[in-house]
Amino acid sequence: MPELGRAALVVTLGLVVYALAAGAVAAHLRRRRLAQSAQNALVAAFFTTLIASLVLVAALLRHDFSFTYVARTTSEALPTGYTISAFWGGQEGSLLLWLLILTGFGAAAMRLNRRWARDLIVWVVPVFAAVATFFALLLVAIASPFATQVAPPDGAGMTPSLQNPYMLAHPPLLYLGYVGLTVPLAFALGALLSGRLDERWLIATRRWTLFAWTALGIGQLLGAHWAYVEVGWGGYYAWDPVENAALMPWLAATAFLHSVMIQEKRGMLRVWNVLLVILAFSLSLFGTFLTRSGVVNSIHSFTQSSIGPWFLAFIGFTVAVSLALVFWRLPQLRSPTKLESPISREAAFLYNNLLLLALCLAILWGVVYPMLSEAIRGEAVVLGRSYYDFFLRAFGLPLLLLMGIGPLIAWRRASLRSLATTFRWPTLVALSAGVVLLALGAGSSIPGLVAYTFSAFVGATIVMEFARGTRARKALGAASWPAAFSSLMARNRRRYGGYVVHASIVLLAIGIAGSSAFDSVAEAKLAQGESLAIGGYTLVYRSLAERQSANATEVRATLDIRRGDKDLGTVQAGKNAYTIEQQVSNEVGIRSDKLTGEDLFVIAEQIDPDGSVYFRVFVKPLVNFVWLAGLVFLLGSVITLWPDRKEQRRLVARADEVGLPATR
Amino acid sequence: MIALSVAAVLAVFLLYTSIAGGGNPSIAPSALQGRTGEVQLAGLVVGPVVGDAHAGGLRFRLRDISGKAQARVVVRYTGSVPDLFKVGRHIVIDGQLRNGVFVAEPGSMITKCPSKYAPKQSGDST
Repeated sequence: MPELGRAALVVTLGLVVYALAAGAVAAHLRRRRLAQSAQNALVAAFFTTLIASLVLVAALLRHDFSFTYVARTTSEALPTGYTISAFWGGQEGSLLLWLLILTGFGAAAMRLNRRWARDLIVWVVPVFAAVATFFALLLVAIASPFATQVAPPDGAGMTPSLQNPYMLAHPPLLYLGYVGLTVPLAFALGALLSGRLDERWLIATRRWTLFAWTALGIGQLLGAHWAYVEVGWGGYYAWDPVENAALMPWLAATAFLHSVMIQEKRGMLRVWNVLLVILAFSLSLFGTFLTRSGVVNSIHSFTQSSIGPWFLAFIGFTVAVSLALVFWRLPQLRSPTKLESPISREAAFLYNNLLLLALCLAILWGVVYPMLSEAIRGEAVVLGRSYYDFFLRAFGLPLLLLMGIGPLIAWRRASLRSLATTFRWPTLVALSAGVVLLALGAGSSIPGLVAYTFSAFVGATIVMEFARGTRARKALGAASWPAAFSSLMARNRRRYGGYVVHASIVLLAIGIAGSSAFDSVAEAKLAQGESLAIGGYTLVYRSLAERQSANATEVRATLDIRRGDKDLGTVQAGKNAYTIEQQVSNEVGIRSDKLTGEDLFVIAEQIDPDGSVYFRVFVKPLVNFVWLAGLVFLLGSVITLWPDRKEQRRLVARADEVGLPATR
Repeated sequence: MIALSVAAVLAVFLLYTSIAGGGNPSIAPSALQGRTGEVQLAGLVVGPVVGDAHAGGLRFRLRDISGKAQARVVVRYTGSVPDLFKVGRHIVIDGQLRNGVFVAEPGSMITKCPSKYAPKQSGDST
């Protein structure tokens, strides 16, 4: 069996190398049949990768510990779900998953776009093949998932913190996101190589980028939720380099999704868009490098890992080749139009892009700063939480405000008078919200107050847009208000789906501001019967119980919760001591208020032999808006991603306009 | 105008560095000798671990994660102790050296991520 897996990978490598070479030759000499053959090789590579993947999954399911990978990541007793998740739980397996998704996406993206972007596709194939070659090479030569050994009686098992339902969805979603960003890159480079620099490469990849971006976004929120309920330190995001690794490409992709609209509508920002795609892809590689190389785990061990340098080399290669191509095509990339006014939709989108990019680069700077300072000064200097928080405020708050302005401001040139009319109501709403919040005591955190005022402003613009659109539909003869609303959504999914996504970002901002700027914390050592008061709640520590589960000793403290005279039930917090792994884990108690979105978050930090417990308790206002934002974000993304037949027809028409060149 | 916007962004950046300065140097226990400023210390926990993190402080020693340096630093720590803290683990704490004892900022302890993914063959980290 391992031979089959190894053989499948070697064949995959051969196929993608062929697709790269034949594809490049065919595109250069315009050989149609050779191009088709390269394309077929890429499709075949997907199937051979699939075979290799199935071999690995089968080995995992059979607990075949003669596979080094299986023995290292699983054990006989591991439940089936987690055994399958071990596929992406280790380095070699996740590289295989990357290649599988990559070849799958490549094959699908080529098939879907072959009609109207054939002249691009011939160049997209070799680009895809080049990326696939890198991963296939790693899998064959450096990090084979099919290394074998004399089978030990049992495997090493999986870290308890990974034995968690989130492990099933969070990593694969991030991978879908990382790998998905290859599609826009391949088409962008394909456009540069072919010299077909019209807007088709953008349109061909819009949904792919959206999909990758959605997967990255949801994957990160799942990770945040995992951290919040399982890791149990009271937060959900810690500016950890591994977390930042996913956030950076997401920010770059967000910028790209906005700036493409400017290119589609006005033909501007063409160089910028190509650069953003290159950046997003490089950052997704860099993210993998960070997670995999050990730079993150240990500040001192730059060269310990075997694949780190390979990734770094590949990132360097990608950036160099891409930039060279951009430079080569620079004369053709000149945009025919210029920015007319600093107060216009184009300009607003440009500010949005600069801010997103600035935030992204500030984070990147924070991530690489320890390495840079170590290389230059011989001493790693770490930028802490305050660094990131500062830039999140400095760049994030203006971004929030722009989210309300950008979609409503006029194209080309907006007059101040029209601005006053458009934004009169949202400004009033925002100001009154600010005054009310100030009266309620929100002035304790200025950034928090600003975030809420801006959120109210953006919320008002979104509501206004939906109301205006629905009224217009009704006036045009929709039977009822709901009918008018749904026809509005159906007719312009991209726009109104976008508003839904914006609404989710507002919810996210409200949740983040509430839980980080207005939270409170109390801690105390309590004996049974003693109580602690925080944020209007009173917690009484009642009892301590111990029970034995299959693999752990579970200790739980039970606390009564009261608010004023009202009895709000109980909450349990404690610790699990895992017997075999010799590891203790905090099991936090969370009581969510369904109405206000507030959480009472209880950690039993230390349980003493005499039965007294050191508790740390947080009150996190509005934190559940963060998770709600995830659902709304998904809804908005699905709306924009939904296939649109009319749009397809428009695309085909546009392809005819461009005129596909004859290929032999 | 793009240039103007870029300049604005750079200005914000400069503003930050001038107000907040750089971060903390991250050093290994063997390099701590004689340094009195605020630093981030990354090391491997050496037992015995005694005391109470919420009363009087937890006491243990740290040594370098890699390399042959024999230096040990006595650490006094108060505040929340992560689940993964135990002898042999890699931890990172902020604080400064006072009279030969590294006094940690309360609640600053981070244990190295329990390997979101499997440990590497080199056995480098958890």
